[in-house]
Amino acid sequence: MLRTMLYLPGNNPNMLTRGHLFGSDGVILDLEDAVAMVEKDSARVLVSRFLEQGEFGKCEVTVRINGIDTEYWRKDLDAVVRYRRLDGIRAPKVDGPETVKVLDEELSRLEDKYGIEQGHLKLHCLLETAKGIWNAYEIAKSSPRIEAIIPGGEDLRADLKTSRSDDETELEWARRMIVFAARAAGVEPLDTVFSRVTDDEGLRKEVEFIKQLGFSGKSIIHPNQIAIIHKVFNPTEKEIANAQKILAAAREAAANGQGAVSVDGKMVDMPVVKRAEYVLVRAGLAEVK
Amino acid sequence: MKTAKAGTMESMDCLVTVTEAAAGTGIKLVMDGASVARFRTAMEKKVLETVAAKDVRDLEIEIEDNGAIDIVLSARVECAIDRLGGAQ
Repeated sequence: MLRTMLYLPGNNPNMLTRGHLFGSDGVILDLEDAVAMVEKDSARVLVSRFLEQGEFGKCEVTVRINGIDTEYWRKDLDAVVRYRRLDGIRAPKVDGPETVKVLDEELSRLEDKYGIEQGHLKLHCLLETAKGIWNAYEIAKSSPRIEAIIPGGEDLRADLKTSRSDDETELEWARRMIVFAARAAGVEPLDTVFSRVTDDEGLRKEVEFIKQLGFSGKSIIHPNQIAIIHKVFNPTEKEIANAQKILAAAREAAANGQGAVSVDGKMVDMPVVKRAEYVLVRAGLAEVK
Repeated sequence: MKTAKAGTMESMDCLVTVTEAAAGTGIKLVMDGASVARFRTAMEKKVLETVAAKDVRDLEIEIEDNGAIDIVLSARVECAIDRLGGAQ
């Protein structure tokens, strides 16, 4: 599950040490925006030492590298790919399949160099431009490494020549596009950050909205956001009980050679069964099929 | 003499200053700060291991500690040495 992916500034020992303790599903060790230009080298060393010797519990560990339009990204990858604790790379400013191709080739070269099995490292692609959003499906299916695509926030607003509004109308179409593209390509749609870290009610409303759109989770910048997001994404006991009832009825129908069956007066067909299975996956009671 | 720094005085970090030393003078290490009184031996060991791994034999190292764990101590020393050597 990737309900919550917590950004940890790559040059901040305090957060790198404690970041995995807050209960997020993943951590993102950030070498990009959270690190000043003059500290790129020290963050790269610090993050690589943490990947080598640090503790991250059960978190999925990714590193956000600098964009391929910078002088840093190759050094970033070379510093982190060798460590087995790394699960994937979060790549900024992915505009199209050609960006993925460049990253994919460099990752393959480094996996070879450091004796890591080919394709081990996943890619989480940040689509932070209008062009990136427009190419979302092509990006999402451009490499088997891609596990997730994520819409940009501030960078995307800048590229759209708009600004932040309270209800984030300016991001709505991009979010829908990301969900459609990701689901069509069989990867996870993850949402951008909610930057008002003290606005719990605003966060809850936004998470309810993006969950309803079809997102699997959200990037976060503060540990206090984790519990609120998990509460929205976790199924209620009533939803779990209902899902278990539906799956039991479907199994019984299949055993008796029946096609469709009724539960509490409602027809249970394949889409209903799939939704029920997904409820149990989100509850941690079943594996993703 | 050339000098380079790495790290900060933020919580759980340390500020490392390294200065070139004449050949044959060896490693001179000075440490001060939050954890030094309790963990001096372990900290010295970690610093000297890191310096040896960088194949540096003559160096002055000054560390102001604010609760850095060994991973951080090692990373800051490594970065300061890289900066002294001109690595980007």
